Amino acid sequence: MRDNGTIKQDLRNYILSEVLPGESPANLKDNTPLRTSGVLDSMGLLGLVSFVEEQYSIELEAHETGIDNFDTIDSIASLIETKIAGRDKA
Amino acid sequence: MTVDLTNDQEELLRAAIKFGRASLRQEPDAVRADRDILFDAEGWRKCGEFGLFKMPVPEEYGGLGLGLPEVLAVMEGLGYASADQGLLFSANAHLWTNTIPILTFGTDAQKSKYLPPLSSGEWVGANASTEPEAGSDVFAMRTRAERRGDRYVLNGAKTFVTNAPVSDLIVTYATLDPALGATGITAFLVERNTPGVNVGPHASKMGLRTSPLADVTFHDCEIPVEQRLGREGRGVQVFECAMEWERGCILANCLGVMRRQLEQVIRHAQSRQQFGKPIGKYQSIANRIVDMKLRLETCRPLIYRIGQLKQLGRNAELESALAKLYVSECYVKSSLDAIQIFGGYGYMTEQGVERDLRDAIGGTLYSGTSEIQRNIIAKRLGL
Repeated sequence: MRDNGTIKQDLRNYILSEVLPGESPANLKDNTPLRTSGVLDSMGLLGLVSFVEEQYSIELEAHETGIDNFDTIDSIASLIETKIAGRDKA
Repeated sequence: MTVDLTNDQEELLRAAIKFGRASLRQEPDAVRADRDILFDAEGWRKCGEFGLFKMPVPEEYGGLGLGLPEVLAVMEGLGYASADQGLLFSANAHLWTNTIPILTFGTDAQKSKYLPPLSSGEWVGANASTEPEAGSDVFAMRTRAERRGDRYVLNGAKTFVTNAPVSDLIVTYATLDPALGATGITAFLVERNTPGVNVGPHASKMGLRTSPLADVTFHDCEIPVEQRLGREGRGVQVFECAMEWERGCILANCLGVMRRQLEQVIRHAQSRQQFGKPIGKYQSIANRIVDMKLRLETCRPLIYRIGQLKQLGRNAELESALAKLYVSECYVKSSLDAIQIFGGYGYMTEQGVERDLRDAIGGTLYSGTSEIQRNIIAKRLGL
């Protein structure tokens, strides 16, 4: 079971290695906009979605990946927690 | 760098040359067809009989199950032997942006239904992704797909759809909600005769004129959920797959054209006398021909490298962009050199030499402009 802090660290590690290689970790905050700021382009977004699905064995529906749910490490981590809880209940 | 084809691949290349010379358009028919914008439906049918569209398709779906290097060798041979590159451009669009995505992302039912008629050549495949306001920025598309129960309803307009006027099956892309961005885009298989699909007239263009191209609009076009290609919201993956294959493979026939051009200019430079000697004896002419040879020899490994990578199941995004960029620009330069060496005769439409240049320029635009290829390469280099 991963807690919110671990999930955020997973996301941070992925983004820094795959999307922002060479970027200082200090510049990537939990509330840094990833999509609206242009950090994630189309393929970067899809890569992150695939990473999340594989890492946490969850399936994200298209409507769940809008900017409201999927723009910052904070919001993505919350979505993942919700999806994990739903998966475990099922 | 050299390309060492296997004996089987060499044999296929020779077979393609023999078939192309016997069955596909030659001069002066190709000049007339280019002028009159005539798709070679009979040539398409013969390509189907020859097995061109079956080559990359597994045997269980009516194909030949050959590897990509073999397909590329055949395309090189056809490019060399046919004077109608528009037909081969259509064949490329059919294979890489229609057949391959179905093969890669299709359900068993979709593959069983569509691959047999596509691989026999009975059906023509098209790809509708570009929109009037979404060219290089293709994911800014406005065509909408609204889910209504067990159907999607498509509304929107696509432009520059190769093969559309003669198509039977269109792979297209629409967004469920523009606010979702890339994760809202979904791919669909749309049969041409579906109510709400409207294909415009065959548009006239600078080169590749015998390859039909038109706008396609969807007006309340109902598509069963079973016709969705891949997962909902994962159309970008389908599109990127199609583009990677197309960028890497669409210029294989141009290798054949560049070889033909080289042979033509050498013959001309040896026989054409000016100021008492063959023009090939002048360094300014000979140097152009040397450059054409160099371009051909440096282009071939880039194309066949993609065949090797895809055969190994490896990603070839970087290599496809490199090949697309370099080969398309070399093709333009060699076509310009051929015209210059032929002089006034090269400028005349009846000779067919100038047509190669018009065809070649398209290569720096379709499947992502040269600028987009450079962006892809730079990004892969970490820039």
